[in-house]
This record gives sequence, structure tokens and C-alpha cells, in this order.
Amino acid sequence: MVRRLSIGLSVLLSALVLSACGGGTAVSDVDTASTMTPLSAQASLGEKIFNDTSISASGRQSCATCHVANSGHAADNDLPAQMGGAGLELQGKRSSPSIRYLATNSAFHFAADGTPTGGFFWDGRTSSLQDQAGRPFTNPVEMANISASEVVDRLSHAAYADEFKRLFGADIFTRQEDAFSRMTLALQQFQREDTIFHAFSSKYDEFLRGKASLSDQELRGFALFNNPAKGNCAACHPSAKNSDGSHALFTDFSYDNLGIPRNPDLLQNADPTSFDLGLCAREGGDMASRGDLCGAFKVPSLRNVALRKVFFHNGRFKSLKDALTFYVQRDTNPEKFYPLNADGTVKKFDDLPTQYHANVNTTEVPYNRRPGDAPALSDTEIDDVIAFLQTLNDGYKR
Amino acid sequence: MTSSRILTTSKIALAAVLAVGGTQVFAQSATEAELARRLDQLSAELAAVKAQLAQMQQQRATTPEASKPSALAAAEPAPAPVAASEAATVLSSYGEINYNRPNKASQNAQADLRRFVLGYQHRFDAKTKVVTELEVEHSVTSSSDPGEVAVEQAYIEHQVQPNLAVRAGLFLMPAGLLNENHEPPAFFGVERNFVETAIIPSTWREGGIQLVGNFDNGLTVQGGISSSFDLTKWDAAATEGAESPLGSIHQELALAKARDLAVFGAVNWRGMPGLLVGASLFTGGATHGQAAASSRVTLWDAHARWTPGRWDLSAVYARGTISNTAALNATLVGNPTLIPKSFDGWYGQAAYRLWTSGDYALSPFVRVERFNTAKSFADLGPGITPSAAATEQVVTLGANFQVAQGIVVKADVQRFRENSDANRLNLGLGWSF
Repeated sequence: MVRRLSIGLSVLLSALVLSACGGGTAVSDVDTASTMTPLSAQASLGEKIFNDTSISASGRQSCATCHVANSGHAADNDLPAQMGGAGLELQGKRSSPSIRYLATNSAFHFAADGTPTGGFFWDGRTSSLQDQAGRPFTNPVEMANISASEVVDRLSHAAYADEFKRLFGADIFTRQEDAFSRMTLALQQFQREDTIFHAFSSKYDEFLRGKASLSDQELRGFALFNNPAKGNCAACHPSAKNSDGSHALFTDFSYDNLGIPRNPDLLQNADPTSFDLGLCAREGGDMASRGDLCGAFKVPSLRNVALRKVFFHNGRFKSLKDALTFYVQRDTNPEKFYPLNADGTVKKFDDLPTQYHANVNTTEVPYNRRPGDAPALSDTEIDDVIAFLQTLNDGYKR
Repeated sequence: MTSSRILTTSKIALAAVLAVGGTQVFAQSATEAELARRLDQLSAELAAVKAQLAQMQQQRATTPEASKPSALAAAEPAPAPVAASEAATVLSSYGEINYNRPNKASQNAQADLRRFVLGYQHRFDAKTKVVTELEVEHSVTSSSDPGEVAVEQAYIEHQVQPNLAVRAGLFLMPAGLLNENHEPPAFFGVERNFVETAIIPSTWREGGIQLVGNFDNGLTVQGGISSSFDLTKWDAAATEGAESPLGSIHQELALAKARDLAVFGAVNWRGMPGLLVGASLFTGGATHGQAAASSRVTLWDAHARWTPGRWDLSAVYARGTISNTAALNATLVGNPTLIPKSFDGWYGQAAYRLWTSGDYALSPFVRVERFNTAKSFADLGPGITPSAAATEQVVTLGANFQVAQGIVVKADVQRFRENSDANRLNLGLGWSF
């Protein structure tokens, strides 16, 4: 299915966003144990659709192509964006995020304090898993169907078409709008029911249950992760167990502008006048008047982040070490991440037009530094934090 | 109901409560410092009060009004004549308006209707009553205002024997001197003392059942089982837990987690006129099966108050401990506010009734208190175990001026040894009836 449910099925999880944000209430899944219960007929159908490449224009791309189970349902390669289109010849625009731990995400809204929160994809442009699941099918750089009708036509020839009709009516394929809607509903149901999407089976979860211990390094990294004077990661990626007993999702579903360096590997960046402005420029134009939100992208969950091979919305970094180093040295050693101007000065925040540089988060730890200051985390401490992040991978075996 | 009628009924109810050895709550809510001393004396003269009560009952039983059953009493199948005659509903209220002005940051000065409380006590019969209090804090409560509405008390008390009552519902916990006696005219200083807010949470109430025994030798014994705290809602990223560990995890019977319960008890002795000596203990589970480790909160205190002549002297020591905090904190390491293993504090206070004229009374006071909300932490390993907090010392110097019975104007200054930025001037107006 979708070649890049990435731009499409995006929503949270892929990149690392350590910075402090607003909001703060971790939405959480009460399903803290991966109990295996049989999928409903609708969810079972959704699983088939999820893995079906025949619904794409190329015939070689399914949802699972860009959201690979073994990679935490994110991309399993280090491409900055996945390839799509009728011939898989077109590059997407953003990295393919994980689609796990999204069942309790909400539609986009502004919290009481004005913090943009929720929504699906990197820019929150869709309001539900179902809405999000449908977009990649007709995205020209993903599954590249010309229209929803073409999607339904392909669906009607799928191996499970009879099952689809049994569930939604013998005439369902004659009602194309309904058929498309039922398809995305089945995809949503699959993601809601299959515990692999919210397994809470990491070493950290077992640690919270008192069934596993963190190593000294992992514990040090955990402390640095939480410490508001060091990593301050928990400010946007809450880690604490919620008062209802549920485990944290490591995202507050808010947005932040980190001033990620421009990624030359993204073909769209060959045009120096082209910028991905994120929230303020999202499809539909509803945020167009909010210039202060230009450059802001969704805070992803950090669960399974150590399985990722690229980080941030533009896939600029390809290792956790590089991503964390950027966090803590962006302002102390900007020359490591940004190009130089002709006069030798650093061209900081080079993936944003100048007028939006002021939107970049420069006030909170670990960004509140200047060249010459010590980074918030040392190299060894970054390794400790990475050790902790590796405890967030699902499927821990004692 | 007119105010005079309320007051008359209140006095009758007060005498009844003392005579049957019931709760102190109503008596306390109707008095202030001066009346509190008189109550102690009255306790010592229990027999005389009993005789007066019997006389009043006899007189009321013979009046036509007393023989007319109330609406509630009429609903009873066969109300006893005495029970019907004692049915009474009494309105009570207290409130306080405070002004705080930090010495070094006058831009942070605040004026606040700190709390406005309405309550009622309804006596169903001679042995049974309901006591309630509904509180509004900070004037206005809405989704965009800072106020809060809370039920502070809602319990039934039934007198089983002349010296034994059973109380059930949401009640104030018997701890320290202030918690059950927190109306503004009943304490010195604009703000409640730190020991009885930061160490003993204030106003601390739980849901449960307790027995209250009052004995002729001046001993009051309370004990029971109740709801407990909830450590699973400890917010390690916030500062509330550092300000008042138990205040940040109390449940106030609001959808309270109740797998783990607590037991508590208190002993108070008023055997000598003007002297009160007592202690309390509370211990209860606080993780409710929702954390990897079980933990218990224990809080105890010892307190004394002596009112010889014009003097009013009091002291409280309180100490709390939380068990198994190493296991709980392991999941919170690095956060600014981990769960302390222990916390404690004490204060000593001296007030002197310097001048009186009619109901006017001026009472300067001084209070010295030392408290530490994070006195120790369980060991988590090097580099991760938080350091114990510094013990704060606060000296409060000021005066209460009684304008009339139940109305007090207060002024004081407070000096903090550790956090001197908190040094401030406080002014307050309070009332209670």
C-alpha cells in the first residue's frame, strides 16, 4: 500500500525531538500488556490491506513498505524520504515516521495555553488514524493512485475483495466513496486492535513493572534524559508513568521548531528557494496566518527510536549519536551542522527563511547556549542517553 | 433563620456536644482563641454542663414550639419526643482575605479571598447529626479562573454512648493543632503555619470511619480507618511535591484510589484547665497496586497548647516517612522533585493577650518554625541520588486583633532563613461563626 505512508501515514514517531515544549500531558495507552487477542474481521481485513502492494500505482508498494514492523513500523532504510510514484521514481518530501503508539493521539487543536497539539502526520493535517491512512493512496509521490476511484477499483480486484464485500455489503464497490471510507476504517481498526502497534513491551516498560532492571549506564542516561538542566528530553517526551497506571508515550504531541539543518539529500532542496515550513504551510492552509508556527513539526514518540535509521522530519541525521549531538551542540558549535556564509560566519538555521529564524527554540535547555559554552551533555553522557533510548524498543526479552 | 436564632441554637448545640462528649468540630468552628480556652475549662467541668443541658432539654420539651416536629422528624415512623425537640439545622461559615507583599519583589504582591466556606450542621436527633463544609478558594472558580470549589467535610456522627461517638464520611484528620481547628480566628498569623501545611497537609481530610471517645478525665481518643494518599500521581517534574509532599498526593475523596487504606489514631488530653497535650499517627498504603513497588506513608505528630492567664503557648512536631522510595524513584531519576524518604518540622509559638476592652483584644505573637520537606532520600546510587533539601527556618512576628467574637484582623512579617526572597508582610481579615 502506500509507498510512503510516510508523508502520509506519518504522524509521530520517527525523529528525535529533545527540546522542551508546551503541553506536557502524556496521552497514554491503557493497554500496558501485549495480550494477544484475535483480530476482529474488520481489523483482519485491515491487516491484509496494510500489506497489499496491489493497491498502489506501482504495484510494488503497500503501507508496510514504508512502515516496517521490524523497524517499529517506520522505514527500514536510511533514505531521507521514501521513493514512490507509478515507477517508484519519485522521492517523497519528509521522512517516514513510525505509526506505533498513535491510538490515543487526538485531532489537532490548540491547548488551553495556546500550544499546538495533536493531529496526524508531521504537520498534524489529518484528524484521525483513519483520515491519515487514506492520504498516501492518492499522494503522487507515494502510492500515486490518480483518484479514490482508482484505489477502489484496485481494491475490488484484490485477493480479499470477497471478504470486503461480506463485511461491507455485496454492492460496496459500486459505492466508491463508501468503499474508500471502509478501507481506511479497516486500516484504522487494524492499528487499534493489533497490540504490535501499542505493545508496551520494551525493557523500560518491564522496568516500570518491576520486572527488569536498568543497567548503570541506562539509569544514568535515564536521569540525564529527565534532568531539566541536562537533556531536558522529558519536557517534550514525558517518561513518567501516568497516575492512572498507564505508561508514557514519550511524546506530548506538541510541536517544536528545532532549526534542523537543511538536508541536501532531499531533492526538493535543490531549489534554494524551496523550504518545508511544516505546521504553518500544511495542506488546507488553515495555519497560513500563523507565521510564528513556521518551521514547527510534530514531536514524535521516542518509543523504538533506536530502530530508526534517519531522524527528524527531513531525515537530516542518520544516527542517534548525530541527532543527540545536534541537540546539545547546535548552539555551542553551530559550525558542525550548518554551512558557512561567504564571510565565514555560520549560516545557522539554513532550512528556514530568515524571517522565521526567530521561531526556532533557543530558550530552553539544551538550546540555551552560545558558542564557547559547554554543551548540556558531554559525549559520554550522550552515549548514556542512547543506552537509555535503546530500552524503549518493543519486544524486550529477559 | 435569623442570626440570633442561629447563635442561640449554636450555643445549645455546643453545650450538647460537650455534654455527650462528641466531636470538637462544631465547638471549634464557633470559637476562637479565647473561646478555645474556655472550652478547655468547660471540659473540665463536664458534670456541670451535663446538668445545664438536662435543664435546657426539660425546658424546651415543655414549650409548644419544641413539641412541633420538624419536617425531617415528621418523616420518621415514631420519633422520640426528645429527638424531635432537638432537631436543628445550624449554618456556619468562615472566610479569610489575605494580602501578601514580598519585601524584595513588591511586584508580586497579591490580595486574595483565600477561602470562603459555608457549612451546616443538621441534628437528626439527640444522637445523630451531619456536618458539612463547602469551600470556595480564590473567589472565582471557572475554567479560566484560579479558584477551586471543594467539600471539606461531609460526615455523619452518631453518639453510641454518652462518651463514645462513631463518625463516618469525609472528615478532617486529627493531626496537629490546626487541621481540625483551622478557622482564621483560631490561629495566629495571617497564613497557616508551615509545619501544618507543608508537613501535615492542610486542610487534610479523608473518607472513612472513626470512633471518638471522650472521657471524664479529659482524654479524647480518636481512631479509625480511612482512605489514603496516592503516590502514583507524584509529579516529579513539578515543584508541588517539594512544597508539601503529602499535599501533592492527597486525594480528598475525589474518585480516590482506595485499594490501600490507612489506619489512624489520635490522643488528646485536656485534664488540666488551659492545657492540651496530644499526639497522632497515620499510616497507610499509597500505591494501590498500581506501581511496581508497594509503598506506605506514615505521618505522626506531637503537640501541646498551654494557655495560662493571658499567655497562649503552643508547639507542634510532625514527621512523615514514605517507604520503598528507592524503587519508586528509580522510574523518576533525573527529575527535579523525587519522592523524599522523610520530611519533618516543628514550631513553637507564644502569644500574649496584651490589651482587651469589651470584645476587643490585641494579641501579639511570635512563632519560630523549622521544617524540611525533603529531609532524606533513599540511596539510588552515585550521581543520581538527590541531595536532601536544606531545612528552612521561618520566624513570624505579628498580632491578631479581635474586633468582635469571631472576627479578627491580622498583621505579621515573616523572615525565611534559606529562601530570603520569600520574606514578606502579610495582612489579613478573617471571620468565623
